Amino acid sequence: MRPKSILMAVAMAGILYVPAADAATTPERVKVTGEIIDTWCYVTEIMYALGTAHHKCAVWCAVGGIPVSIKDASDKVYMVLKVEDDDNSVANPKILKVQTHQVTVEGDLYVRDGVNYLIVNQVADDKGVVNMTHEDYGIQPFGE
Amino acid sequence: MNRFVITAALMLFAAGSASGAEGWGIDNEKKTRVDAKVVDLLCEVTGDCADNCGNGKRQLGLLLDDGRLVPVVKNQDIFAGAVEDLAPFCGKRITADGLMISNPKMPMFALQFKREAPDGKWSRANWYIKNWSKANPGKPGKDWYKHDAKVLELIAKDGVYGIPGLKPSE
Ligand SMILES: [Cu+2]
Repeated sequence: MRPKSILMAVAMAGILYVPAADAATTPERVKVTGEIIDTWCYVTEIMYALGTAHHKCAVWCAVGGIPVSIKDASDKVYMVLKVEDDDNSVANPKILKVQTHQVTVEGDLYVRDGVNYLIVNQVADDKGVVNMTHEDYGIQPFGE
Repeated sequence: MNRFVITAALMLFAAGSASGAEGWGIDNEKKTRVDAKVVDLLCEVTGDCADNCGNGKRQLGLLLDDGRLVPVVKNQDIFAGAVEDLAPFCGKRITADGLMISNPKMPMFALQFKREAPDGKWSRANWYIKNWSKANPGKPGKDWYKHDAKVLELIAKDGVYGIPGLKPSE
């Protein structure tokens, strides 16, 4: 076989091989700005679940191991699976510390079966808790 | 009927009802019993895998037979997720009984009972408090969130609103 046809054969083998390897989701690079929330209370709407009014409950839920998400301005919810190389997504002390904060993060977004899974590569900005909801909603869910 | 028969009947009833999901009145919920594989979400979604699904430190989900992946975000304990209930079944097929919540914002599963498929022993999805109580002897498990050291430390530091120094008015 001449060198050219060897190359061609290798290339064709590659083409035949690649599509079978990974039909799974590929990530999209994203920048997300939003509030760190408790996924369960917010998505199910079992109570008012944003800002200062819900901070304590959001801490309970995160300590209880419920996934933490980021909700952006369009109410899109991103479940956080990893933060800056830390793959602990169950009551991670680093994430507990920033519950309810308004943050901007850069990461990789994987969408699968209707769920937005976010791998946070970098927390670019953290404004702390700025969503003052307690004057309207008190302290959720028990009022104290 | 003697007392023994009544007790036996009650126990049977309890055993029967111990594996039927209860509705919570949540939008888009559907009582669901399904066999599925317990998977580590990070591993399943991105290929970034860890031994034993991360040993309780990674969020878990159900991989259904049709290939759909559903995160399990809740168990039956107040304010708790289902990782403690599912981690012992990492990579195994279970029968999950609970609520499939097909919310357009995020589909999710709330686990109420589980067993190893196809015919393992049913148990309630209440292992968060079970394990918490073991780790916190003498403290009331049903009020775990009022007594948990991590919760108390965070609230003492940042306040109930998450803003240090901002306190509820009396
Ligand atoms: Cu809540």
